[in-house]
Amino acid sequence: MVNILDDYALMSPLRYRNNWLKLSIVTFGILTGVSSTSPFTPLLIALCMGFATVYFGRIPFKFYLKLLALPAGFVLTSAVIIAFFFGTGDILFSFDVSGYTLAVKSGGLNMALLVLSRTIGGMSCLFFLSLTTPMVELFAVLKATHFPDSFVEIAMMMYRYIFVFLEVAMGIRYAQTVRLGYRDFRTSFRSLVMLGTNLFIRSWEQGEKLYLSMNSRCYDGKMILLEEKRPVRMPEVLLTCSYFALVLSVFYLTRGITLI
Amino acid sequence: MHIFEGFLPTPWWQIWFAVSIPVIMYGMYQMNKLVSQRREVVPLLAVAGAFIFVLSSLKLPSAVTMSSSHPTGTGMAAILFGPAITSVLGVIVLLYQSLFLAHGGLTTLGANTAAMAIIGPVVAYVFYRSASKAGMNFYLNVFLATALADLATYVVTSVQLALAFPSEVGGVYASFTKFALIFAVTQIPLAVVEGALTALIMKYVVQIKSEVLVDLNVLSSAAVTKIKEAME
Repeated sequence: MVNILDDYALMSPLRYRNNWLKLSIVTFGILTGVSSTSPFTPLLIALCMGFATVYFGRIPFKFYLKLLALPAGFVLTSAVIIAFFFGTGDILFSFDVSGYTLAVKSGGLNMALLVLSRTIGGMSCLFFLSLTTPMVELFAVLKATHFPDSFVEIAMMMYRYIFVFLEVAMGIRYAQTVRLGYRDFRTSFRSLVMLGTNLFIRSWEQGEKLYLSMNSRCYDGKMILLEEKRPVRMPEVLLTCSYFALVLSVFYLTRGITLI
Repeated sequence: MHIFEGFLPTPWWQIWFAVSIPVIMYGMYQMNKLVSQRREVVPLLAVAGAFIFVLSSLKLPSAVTMSSSHPTGTGMAAILFGPAITSVLGVIVLLYQSLFLAHGGLTTLGANTAAMAIIGPVVAYVFYRSASKAGMNFYLNVFLATALADLATYVVTSVQLALAFPSEVGGVYASFTKFALIFAVTQIPLAVVEGALTALIMKYVVQIKSEVLVDLNVLSSAAVTKIKEAME
């Protein structure tokens, strides 16, 4: 039903690397990608991050390609809209639709390509983070930053219960499917209502039980996490620095360059 | 409707963060106040957030278009918990969606938060409260509030895209109509289906566990008995 990327992150060998190093690589990639003015920089970032995720992170290549196709529906639709209604310059091609003339201008197409490449670059950085860093590791980071305790607590418990409820939901859905519960629109709607209600009531009861069980184990509003020390090694620093330097130089050299 | 990572250009994703952060801070302040008074709400809020996440990962059947779409779930949360707490839960859900399901993104988190965790829930809450004061039927009220929350989310997302990419002829308004028109194909059926789904879920909740709704101040106990009598 759903692919939780966290499952892959738990098995990834990059899990045991320094969290802050990984976070800085991802932040750098996202920020440079989004502020670049040519499509080359985000594509280079996508290439590097994709290589790091697949090769160092041991993520199956086919699975990775499938993931990249995920945002395609939204992104391609919006990119087509931008290509048609944005920008100035020479008209590349046009056609008539019931009296309206739709034209793609070079400015619009460039903008659409730039946005497309930025999204690919950004998504690849996001995938690197979510496929190599399980949420359990990120909680330590969240605790170190100055978020309110109640926020971090709720985020942690929510994380745990997402998996509990997903399992319940999948079980119910499976049982409904084998009883032809998703045969057509009417039955699938009815099944979904049942599923939602059951989930709501069950989660409510679970929440009450959770409070009792945690209270009886002396919960005082703070769960203590043991953060493992993971020193950054020299090769990692060198690789990261050369990656930063490469991206920054491409960023500088290709600024303002367009494909068309 | 999530905006994906890297889609919003530079001034806009910062602007949407600037819009969302004060609201979220206020939500956190409200939540902290509630938690310090009643410590037992922490696990309840956590499971409620997990419920929103799981609900939003279910695919809705869609009668009009062949494509299936995901509900937002935030309209229901706003009716149950109020907009301030829903906004905080919504941010966590959006963060998890971007990390676990590759829906949304980190730079666009601000824009997505504004649309899905702030404006949608506020619309649902304001509508629900004022309509229940006016004495509207409970199910119709829940249906309309949730559907309106979805529509508001979709309109705000279209506005965000239009502001970032104004059309050369006609400016922001022209490109807004284009984005809104094209995404309406999936978003309007979604709003109707999610509204109906939430209203029916509420029907079962009233039947089976109505004390939850009284606890949360969604319905008064007098209203619950009235609805139950009408059912029999």
